[in-house]
Amino acid sequence: MFEIERLDDHTIALRGRFDASQEPTALEVFGQMERGLTVDFAELRYVSSAGLGVLFATQKRLSENGHTMRIVNVSPHIREVFALAGFDRIFQME
Amino acid sequence: MTETRAFGRRIGALEEVFQFLGAFGDREGFDERLQFAIQFVAEELFTNMVKYNTGQGREIEIRIARADGEVRLELVDFDVDPWDPTTAPEVDIRRPAEDRRPGGLGMHLVKSMVDRVTYEYRDRAMCVTVAKRLPSDGSSAGPQQDRA
Repeated sequence: MFEIERLDDHTIALRGRFDASQEPTALEVFGQMERGLTVDFAELRYVSSAGLGVLFATQKRLSENGHTMRIVNVSPHIREVFALAGFDRIFQME
Repeated sequence: MTETRAFGRRIGALEEVFQFLGAFGDREGFDERLQFAIQFVAEELFTNMVKYNTGQGREIEIRIARADGEVRLELVDFDVDPWDPTTAPEVDIRRPAEDRRPGGLGMHLVKSMVDRVTYEYRDRAMCVTVAKRLPSDGSSAGPQQDRA
């Protein structure tokens, strides 16, 4: 199960498992975000490199336009994956 | 005992892959952290095979076993050309975002999460085996930060 909910123009909530089969849907939603963005991971249980790729592409695009992306409520397992990918230095995580 | 199952060559089969591996992990008493690592590694290898191997439509076989203090996961893709994913270029995770490219990250993470990755090719079948040592209590052996 995976859910991606755009709460407002600045906030997206992810829930469940963000695997490669969810990449097209996620790309579409994240592609619509054009301002500073907060992504809430409170109910996200799993993310693979496909999910990381979507987040990275979004972060890069927003950053090039002077905006920031923040990730909040990250579980310990997912935080470890971000660290292994070196993404803990790229993303603002809280 | 090794458990084996074959899965359709499509990304949409991932849900079945996770159910198969999750059921094995539950029976073996693996904790959430170890199950996360096993499923992560399986997804990376499975999606690589789906994307880059032609496979003539044959299913991809996944085998999982617990033996000799480790969990072993094998993915076998039949009737394919040789392609060794373990030789993917290293990713420099210290590079700033503007210099990073997405390619290769999946295999970097696989290598970081397990203790051994091996590739074999025989009779037009490729087999990638990963092994992860279990801690003495038999539960979790999560990602190894010191190997990043």
